[in-house]
Amino acid sequence: MSTTAGWRLLLGLALRRDRVLTGVWIAVLVMMSVASAAATPSLYAAQADRVHAAEALNASPAIVALYGPVLDVTSEGELAMTKMTVLYAVFVAVLFVVVVRRHTRVEEESGRTELVGGTAVGRNAPLAAVAVETVLLALALGVLTALGNTASGLPLAGSVAFGGLWAGTGLVAAGIAAVTAQISASARTCAGFAAGAIGVLFVLRAAGDTGPEWLSWLSPLGWNTQVGAYAATRWWLLAAYPVLALALGAVAVALRARRDLGSGLVAARPGPASGSPRLADAFTLALRTSGTTLVLWMAAAGVMGVVFGMIAPGIGDLLDSQTAQSIIDELGGELVAAILSIVAVVLTYFAATVVAHTSRDETDGRAELVLATGTSRSAWFGATLLVALAGTALLLVMTGLGLWIGYVAADGPGIGNLLVAALAWVPAAWVVGALAVLSLAWGTRWTVLAWVWPAAFMVLALMGDLLELPTWVIDLSPYTHVPAVPSEPWSWGSATTLSAVAAVLLLVAWWRFRERDIH
Amino acid sequence: MTDSAVIEIRDLVKTFGSFRALDGLDLSVAPGEVHGFLGPNGAGKSTTIRVLLGLLRKDSGDVRLLGGDPWADAATLHRRLAYVPGDVSLWPNLSGGETLDLLIRMRGADPRTSRRDEMVERFALDPTKRGRAYSKGNRQKVALVAAFATDPDLFILDEPTSGLDPLMERVFNDCVAEQTARGATVLLSSHILSEVERLADRVTIIREGRVVETGTLASLRHLQRTRLVAGLSGAVPDLSGRSGVHDVAVDGAQLTCTVDADALPGVLADLTAAGITSLTSSPPSLEELFLDAYRDRAGAGR
Repeated sequence: MSTTAGWRLLLGLALRRDRVLTGVWIAVLVMMSVASAAATPSLYAAQADRVHAAEALNASPAIVALYGPVLDVTSEGELAMTKMTVLYAVFVAVLFVVVVRRHTRVEEESGRTELVGGTAVGRNAPLAAVAVETVLLALALGVLTALGNTASGLPLAGSVAFGGLWAGTGLVAAGIAAVTAQISASARTCAGFAAGAIGVLFVLRAAGDTGPEWLSWLSPLGWNTQVGAYAATRWWLLAAYPVLALALGAVAVALRARRDLGSGLVAARPGPASGSPRLADAFTLALRTSGTTLVLWMAAAGVMGVVFGMIAPGIGDLLDSQTAQSIIDELGGELVAAILSIVAVVLTYFAATVVAHTSRDETDGRAELVLATGTSRSAWFGATLLVALAGTALLLVMTGLGLWIGYVAADGPGIGNLLVAALAWVPAAWVVGALAVLSLAWGTRWTVLAWVWPAAFMVLALMGDLLELPTWVIDLSPYTHVPAVPSEPWSWGSATTLSAVAAVLLLVAWWRFRERDIH
Repeated sequence: MTDSAVIEIRDLVKTFGSFRALDGLDLSVAPGEVHGFLGPNGAGKSTTIRVLLGLLRKDSGDVRLLGGDPWADAATLHRRLAYVPGDVSLWPNLSGGETLDLLIRMRGADPRTSRRDEMVERFALDPTKRGRAYSKGNRQKVALVAAFATDPDLFILDEPTSGLDPLMERVFNDCVAEQTARGATVLLSSHILSEVERLADRVTIIREGRVVETGTLASLRHLQRTRLVAGLSGAVPDLSGRSGVHDVAVDGAQLTCTVDADALPGVLADLTAAGITSLTSSPPSLEELFLDAYRDRAGAGR
């Protein structure tokens, strides 16, 4: 029997299971791209306006660190796709990581791979099936994006290149996920590794775009800019994505051959024969099950903070030496605020992972095991929300500390307390975390919304103006109510209001969780 | 039905949307008895147990557990009971030992003063394995060890031996016997009927959310038939048309049939006349009782 026997069956099953997830995700991505392409001519009618805008973007290291530079300031497409090229490509990458992980390690952890493996399905069939699926998804995403951008008035050739670089980003992300899926027996840890790898690639590119350029060439996300879809296109660079993806796929297959089904690369050590006396209630259990994830996230948040903290003061070098100290401070502050606006959303996903974990405890029957003991529903529920919300706050503290350390290490001038800048996002993150908790409280089938809230609010904040949505709709996002500390002063009003909203949401969630059936 | 019943359910209704999972169910479990709780898949056994555990909210009816309200006093009551579900799911990264101690501590007991180690040995459980590495039977053992390590007033066991090998089933039976000797009450839901037959004092059979039969095992035997296998030397009599005789099969000189209690004397007389060379009769197994209860209700509903 070939090691990939049966992959067609698995592919059919996967496509069927994913049709809503991938359909909606790809539709949103294409819509974002099309909206950006269509909005640019109305925002910047004259060529001179566009050049001016592009030069302004390039002059702001904060923007360059987040979005990458505009390679050709005269190109309408380059300007229109500023946010899409790198930052939204991260959302492309996340989709592919989710899909690959879902059909490899998650299936293995649940035991379904074993079920399938007992039939006439080869060892590498799951990998082969998901590889084909990701190629199909990448093709769909690339073609739809190219068509959409062309239809919105951008040049055809550039749109094809742009569709190609998004598709390429997806393939590389799929390769990364395929490799990380082999490392640990825990699907959650594998997701952490994949997210970490993408984070490193993003930071590498941000550092390269604002500093030594060769760093950007080390990151596929840096290639996204360097392809220059709507500038002097480097078509050959598009070939680099599938080559890297194939190489990663080969590594994944080689690693798969070195391990047993259900295990990681490192053989599982035997656990303790008895439990610590401290592991005795719902809260310590939640800490025990989410602790490793929290520590990994804390390390990532801290490192990311240090890196961006070190970039922040360096941007002064790009300015004319006569530039006043205050302007440097302001630019540094602007960078910190811009970075934090994204980081805060990403860190809110920690709350989503905790909520999702509790939800799986319930659907798998572990909650039943606990709730049949002296542990009350309130304790079980309280443990989840405490770990989710305190964990998110802790992550923002780590980010702030990292920013501060990096900033001081790079001899940055005083731009105030960067810890405060990070803490300013805590109440907004709590509101979104509370929404995730409320989704779980309403019923496990709603828990999927925990993943939707942060993304929806970020899209609202990032795209609201572009889509010309009414202000009240944009204001629905808690993230829009956070002052851009340190560029703006800390606001007690916003912090108190957002915290109060979070508290109300949690009270409603608690009431609902105490009343509903546990299945 | 006594006031001191450990479990007292009257006219319990639980619906999921338009589906009536429990449709006026009654159940009474007296202190110190092992009560078998039987029914086909989807009959409402687990739903009843989840209402008893305060996991599901009843729509109507009265439910008392250990003298309290299982919904309002859930956490307090749970310290006096041990629950073993039929499909145990463990935390993938916690070792079996950690899970055991966690569950025991959550019930307010101390694993170090409990019979935890003795039970680990009797059930031959390796407590150092991680949750994700256990087989189904071993996951079941973790829940059983956690339950039998302490001395609760009530055991609620929902198909507790699924996945256990026969050796472990015997250990399980011993543990139940020890607990009842101590005075504990057991609600044992199962469709492994031989297990209930061996352990249960009384049985309640449910179907489609309602009680079909309830009583002692002896009192339910009136329903039942005897299965006869007879070797005959003479001509095999034709029993197939006779009332009270079922499932007649003839294989050469051997006749197999099941006979209602009141038709038994007549059948035996005919067989004797035909010259019996061998005769085996099997007592009604609970399995057959159960099939009867099921068949009768299905017939009545048609």
